[in-house]
Amino acid sequence: MVPRMSERLQAIVFVVVLAVAISGLYAYIQLSQPPPVTASGVEQVSLFIDGGTWTISYGPVETSNNTAYSLLLEASTRLGFPVQAVQYSIPNGVFVTSINGTTNGQDGRYWQFWVDGTYPQVGADHVALADGDTVTWRFTSDQGGTL
Amino acid sequence: MTARWRAALDGGLGDRKTRMLGLLLIGLGALGTIVMRDDANFETVFVASLVAGSVLGRWWTVIVPMAILGIVEPVLWGGPYAIYSSHVILGLTFFIVTGFLFVGIVGRRLKPRVVFRVKSIALLTTVSIPMTIAYDLWTDVGEYAFIASPMGLTFWNVLEAQVPFTLYHLLSSLIFVPLFGTGILMLHALGWPHAEEETAPAEPSDES
Repeated sequence: MVPRMSERLQAIVFVVVLAVAISGLYAYIQLSQPPPVTASGVEQVSLFIDGGTWTISYGPVETSNNTAYSLLLEASTRLGFPVQAVQYSIPNGVFVTSINGTTNGQDGRYWQFWVDGTYPQVGADHVALADGDTVTWRFTSDQGGTL
Repeated sequence: MTARWRAALDGGLGDRKTRMLGLLLIGLGALGTIVMRDDANFETVFVASLVAGSVLGRWWTVIVPMAILGIVEPVLWGGPYAIYSSHVILGLTFFIVTGFLFVGIVGRRLKPRVVFRVKSIALLTTVSIPMTIAYDLWTDVGEYAFIASPMGLTFWNVLEAQVPFTLYHLLSSLIFVPLFGTGILMLHALGWPHAEEETAPAEPSDES
């Protein structure tokens, strides 16, 4: 026959099990976050933005802004158009909400991006660019796939 | 007629202690969610609904989640939901409201087994895990119907995207259910600290 645990012992066991569960879950979540991009120079990268009724082209340029998002911000500063974004911690990444006054949600369309025609699965600030890449931002209701 | 209404209110809301705990849960649930609104799926509506049903029962099973959402949702509509159109917001709100109501009702079913014991806190915490997953699956249906489907996404795409958010939601439940559960069960079992006890003399007086 198993002896009954005292209330105090039950509380200790419960707190230990809970602490292990919370720590394990937190560690797993942190490990599953997309890794940060290390800053480095890239050459001949280009940016194309399709807002539906307007377009913006930038580059090719040599730059140290080697993510899809930082290249967008560089173009925004150089060409003088506004960009709005929200930084999320879960999952870690940036979500662009508006480019050049065109804001997500209009006619069910949202800003989405492709790098060399491929739709990334992480935020634009976690996509490292390579020499010769072209980043395309498109205001569209279609999602994913290859351009 | 007035006496009948009063009896119904007393029966539905319980005694003064239960009413105070109900209001406390509403306050904590709303405040916690508003304070943590930038941390997706870290919220206190879930735990307040579960504890309201399992500890307070009665009308509080419905009043607590509804009152918290009545406070919190308009705040969220102006924040993270602001990019959505009104019919999308209303659609998502339907799934959120019914989801938390379901959590409260499941909590109500547990009420007979919830007393101020470690086992009860462990039971609530354990039950919160499948309940959190069930709640997220239910709201995923809403996200699929009102956001993903019009964009050409499948329900599977929604589930895949939901995984990290559900992990955080589980973390939120594992932290807040024991905290809220212990605090509210303790107040429910032992009552509020009385002001008279604090002002009572520590030792008998020699004057008499």
